[in-house]
Amino acid sequence: MLIYILKRFLIALPLILVISLVAFLFINLTPGNFFNQMRLNPQISEETIEKYIELYQLDKPVLMQYFAWLKRIIHLDFGYSFAYNIPVAKVLGTRVLNTLLLTLSSLFFTWLVALPLGIVAAVKVDRAWDRLISFLSYVLLSIPTFFMAFLLLYFAYLAGILPLGGMVSANFTELSLFFKILDLFKHLIIPTLVISLGAIASLVRIMRGNLLEVLRSNYILALRARGISEKRVTYVHALRSAINPLITIFGYQISGLLSGAALTEIICNWPGLGSLMLSAVRSQDIYLVMGSMLVSSVMLIGGNLIADILLGFADPRIRVK
Amino acid sequence: MKFLVLLLILFTSCANGEKSLEVERGNTRYGGYLAFASVSDPKSFNPVLAKETSTTSITGLIFEGLTRVNVYTKEAEPNLAKSWQIKRGGKEWVFYLREDVKWNDGVPFSADDVVFTFNSLIYNSKIPSSASDVLKVDGEPFKVEKIDDYSVRFTLSSNYAPFLMAMGTDILPKHILADVVKADKFNSFWTLDSTPSGIVGTGPFKLSRYIPGQLVELVRNEHYWKKDKDGNSLPYLKGVRFLVVPNSDTALLKFLDSEIDYYSLRGEDYAILKPEEKSKGFKIYEVGPAFGSSFITFNQNNSINPKTQETYIDKRKLEWFRDRRFREAVSYALDRSSIIDIVLNGFGYPQSGPLSPSSGYFYNSNIEEHGYDLDRAKELLSDIGFSDIDSDGILEDKSGEDVSFNLFTNAENNVRVKIAELIKEDLINVGIKVNFLPLEFNNLVTKLSSSYDWEAIILGFTGGIEPHFSSNIWLSSGHLHIWYPKQERPATSWEAEIDKLFKDGVQALGRKKRKSIYDSWQEIASRELPLIYTAIPESIFAVRDKFGNLDPNPYGGVFHNIEEIYIINKEE
Repeated sequence: MLIYILKRFLIALPLILVISLVAFLFINLTPGNFFNQMRLNPQISEETIEKYIELYQLDKPVLMQYFAWLKRIIHLDFGYSFAYNIPVAKVLGTRVLNTLLLTLSSLFFTWLVALPLGIVAAVKVDRAWDRLISFLSYVLLSIPTFFMAFLLLYFAYLAGILPLGGMVSANFTELSLFFKILDLFKHLIIPTLVISLGAIASLVRIMRGNLLEVLRSNYILALRARGISEKRVTYVHALRSAINPLITIFGYQISGLLSGAALTEIICNWPGLGSLMLSAVRSQDIYLVMGSMLVSSVMLIGGNLIADILLGFADPRIRVK
Repeated sequence: MKFLVLLLILFTSCANGEKSLEVERGNTRYGGYLAFASVSDPKSFNPVLAKETSTTSITGLIFEGLTRVNVYTKEAEPNLAKSWQIKRGGKEWVFYLREDVKWNDGVPFSADDVVFTFNSLIYNSKIPSSASDVLKVDGEPFKVEKIDDYSVRFTLSSNYAPFLMAMGTDILPKHILADVVKADKFNSFWTLDSTPSGIVGTGPFKLSRYIPGQLVELVRNEHYWKKDKDGNSLPYLKGVRFLVVPNSDTALLKFLDSEIDYYSLRGEDYAILKPEEKSKGFKIYEVGPAFGSSFITFNQNNSINPKTQETYIDKRKLEWFRDRRFREAVSYALDRSSIIDIVLNGFGYPQSGPLSPSSGYFYNSNIEEHGYDLDRAKELLSDIGFSDIDSDGILEDKSGEDVSFNLFTNAENNVRVKIAELIKEDLINVGIKVNFLPLEFNNLVTKLSSSYDWEAIILGFTGGIEPHFSSNIWLSSGHLHIWYPKQERPATSWEAEIDKLFKDGVQALGRKKRKSIYDSWQEIASRELPLIYTAIPESIFAVRDKFGNLDPNPYGGVFHNIEEIYIINKEE
């Protein structure tokens, strides 16, 4: 197992290198650079813009820029953001935490709700409960996230209980610690729901399908024939094998923790990586884009690795291979 | 009317006199926060390095200049300087500074700060300051010297008419920054991770907190020099908050939900907000034409591309674009009223010249307007020699090929994309085929500023009140003279004429004289149509019904007098 993990690590390094090179080249292939937006300001002369370009060494050849960047990365220096004029790590820091807060809470909520619902649907197959759960999950699956976000925000506006987007209220700074946490929690509800509802819907379908399949398999029949109670058959024996494929999904969800919420973040005004990245890519804030890209690809590769390891623990067949 | 408002204010403040205990010297106007929404985070707290409005809207409250623009007369008026003297026919200016000004850390403000700001910051070649270009005449910096603690002399190499306007540039504290500049660290000073209290200005507010991606909070500067007419120190507000809300639909909901106090309306928002005015307790102000322009422009660059030894675009098309009659025909073919109705939801004005009617004194109201006139447009096109030979509805030029061109605009600007769609329909009515292609902004800028391979573009510039500040657009040598940038000598006689007008305009000191110079510029611009203007939106603001001393203005916006604004009903 340890050798397996080590191997995966060794494969990951060149992978990240290639990803970063391709990303760097592509950003530089798009015409213009960060300071282009200043070019249309009548009060700024071309000399001033040239001065900026020189200062940030954008006049150097692309490969030279890339290797300079790579050299700094080895020393864990992500460079400066053009737009914010502070180290990329500082710009990313709080944003990554905000995104993680949101995605982790949705992940938690999704699994908390989806697993029981999927089990209920499978156990009560073709009965009213199953029909209701299936119907709802089809509806939720067919609503695009951005629309769901607007829908929930509009309901929140009509109801007037929940805050409309953002992460904290305007008077956040005046609140005591307890109310600060409460305020944050309130702001978390809508974006969490937006991300979770779609995920819950698909996870319920998968859970239901898996469990049904297992329940119809021969060894379950054999267990039942031995007279083991239906409860024990379902919740101890069938459930364990039904959950196995879901572990892979869990791993993939970990890899999407940083990137999966972008659209929701932008609409719900959640100050995470999503909106930051969108504007960074648009304005060609190269080192900021590269920095977050690096973090995301590490998460992606790491997530897959975690998924494989978890699966190894759950399923001996994989461990042996 | 004013009396009535005053009475109302008196009445309401009496009624609440008991409730609000937040009283300074028995005045009930003090206290409360004003909440804005900002589309994005500020990028820095350094006003010299500031490049865009989400930064300057915040630094503008922390820092001040020697002069400021009076939003009514649109002339410079005293601010940190209490008066000035002009000597040697406009080449020498002596500013007398206010003696009661303190930085928000309590240190007195003096002439040293002014001299430092110019000589060590703005004119420092190591500091890329976007303001420095406006503070030079013919590329020469002003000579700035201290006379005594409260007077400063500026010496100019030649006359510079917008000098007083340019003196609105923010003054920064020497006692904080002198060492920073010496250590060569100014370019990374006062960034977003700086301690809020370390950002020192003379303005009405000071920074108190910044939470990335969420909130910027400013509180009142207790050292601020300005007083109201009863001698109470300003500002009245306890603070100002900017909530970062990138999505304007979310901002609209937040405004309706009373989380923010101000919302700048797009035309389509009006129908949503107007019916809620009474029940939600806010008021919508329509204050007149805004400053931004939208125009279509044709590439007239007939210089030779050194790489290909040919012109940058098809010679045949270049010939049409350089023909005034072609541009005039396009202008007549534009149905500006439908642009206003469809794109701006009825809230706009047809625009025919480079200045907005709101820019006041220099606006020439007599310039020729091109009404919607299809017959005139067709007539002009047939004068050029275009005719529909194969009667397919599209005109052909003399060589027998279709009259069509590619039209670009930046894809993320909804207004421009919609205008482009309408222009496409308008021009097919007169037999011109338009291939519309929205492009990514940076791609568009590259085409405009270096590759020059575009035929027509829809674009806009943020306008202002001082015509000289648009000289990069109008001088034939300017890099934003987009239809044919950076010419060595003017390509046409009218461009030569405009060059001369701008050169005279910056030298002439009498306001009347300048007015007549810039009047002729606007006449030529609307006759020759290098930029064919479309429509200018109305400035519409919605403000929560709780502020006193509110006086919205198209130039200054709603909160140009923010230090005097107070909250009538404090709900606490």
